Amino acid sequence: MTTSVFPTCQLLHTCRPRPHLLHRTPGSTTNNRRQLTLAVTATTRAMEAERKNDGALKKGIAEFYDESSEMWEDIWGDHMHHGFYDPDSTVSVSDHRAAQIRMIDEALRFAGLSEDPTKGPKSVVDVGCGIGGSSRYLARKYEAKCQGITLSPVQAQRANALAAAQGLADKASFQVADALEQPFPDGQFDLVWSMESGEHMPDKAKFVNELVRVAAPGATIIIVTWCHRDLAPSEEALQPWEKELLNKICKSYYLPAWCSTVDYVKLLESLSLQDIKTADWSPYVAPFWPAVIRSALTWKDMTSLLRSGLKSIKGALAMPLMIQGFKKDLIKFAIITCQKPE
Amino acid sequence: MKLLTHNMLSSNIKGVANGFPLRIEVEKATEKQVELNAGFLRNVFPMIEWKALVDAAQLPEVADSSMLDSDFLNKFHHALLELHLEKDALVCPETARRFPVSQGTPNMLLLEDEV
Repeated sequence: MTTSVFPTCQLLHTCRPRPHLLHRTPGSTTNNRRQLTLAVTATTRAMEAERKNDGALKKGIAEFYDESSEMWEDIWGDHMHHGFYDPDSTVSVSDHRAAQIRMIDEALRFAGLSEDPTKGPKSVVDVGCGIGGSSRYLARKYEAKCQGITLSPVQAQRANALAAAQGLADKASFQVADALEQPFPDGQFDLVWSMESGEHMPDKAKFVNELVRVAAPGATIIIVTWCHRDLAPSEEALQPWEKELLNKICKSYYLPAWCSTVDYVKLLESLSLQDIKTADWSPYVAPFWPAVIRSALTWKDMTSLLRSGLKSIKGALAMPLMIQGFKKDLIKFAIITCQKPE
Repeated sequence: MKLLTHNMLSSNIKGVANGFPLRIEVEKATEKQVELNAGFLRNVFPMIEWKALVDAAQLPEVADSSMLDSDFLNKFHHALLELHLEKDALVCPETARRFPVSQGTPNMLLLEDEV
């Protein structure tokens, strides 16, 4: 998958007519027109191909999570994100739930949200909500109304069922929807939450645009996501071996092309967001993947994995690649937060 | 699906000027008892698009938060949380495109040509 970070910009470049085409010299008009037609056709085809690619990606993501959600929930509970650990600690499976909750609290703190729940957000959107762990936690913590969206019908259904079972059906509700076309009017939410879903978005510009659109004036936006390392000023792109490693991971986890933390910052700056803060939390999540691998190797969880299906198995086999990526400082676990102006 | 959910969703199909509120197509409406949480209702009230809720249920046409005494609170609670729409769909007010609701979970995914 070679979707660029800013596909819109790339296509605009293809569309721009070359200066000599604008001059109609006799005898070459047909040629010029044909060249322009070819350029336009090529662009239309590229856009079509990209749309088909994105369609296939969305389908892949939905199916991946439809297939693996139950197994994940069995082993890891209702939070589908990394735990926040003390660096260099060895943790056992029983520590993970607390670590996953700590991840949410640390993210809220980093964003500058008050520790006082009465001063917290009243309306939250959980973009890429999984089975609703974050939403239900935030709904309880702030007595807030939370809407979650996911591409996976199985996850949305499960999220609603869990909310009902926990007496939270009024506070937390979940829909099947696309983060690139959020089904909400503008400015609905005072907290926009994206916990480890950004890496699935094929069009980062559109993704960020939607996060900002549905944010109310004065709202906080929190993005926690996997990025690749920031490029050095002299670099145009990642090294070939780096691209190759990320490519392999992309295929297993239904990810489009990666971007860097700085790319997110640039997008937010272009949309006039304020108080943009970022951090590299890779050291705090390092114990996560070895723990996932260890858990997958137990008999109970292995059979669960085999029952889930091929997509989940492929995902499991890609885990060492994630560890490699982190170890080589290629993959970063990033947090990016900001405020929408009043 | 509860009316609270309906009050938060809109149609974002390309070309639609105002996709809110979605029309509701319902086969059956049942009532389920939900414990009244006055604090939650008071918090949620300012977020509610009142006209959309009025049209979807039977409520007074004009409302403000000073009205949130026990009688009105009960009516608000009932409309928002206790009316359950079964086998329903949400309909774009401009294009009449149906968004299906399956077991209370709306599917708002747009098709390729709607984006």
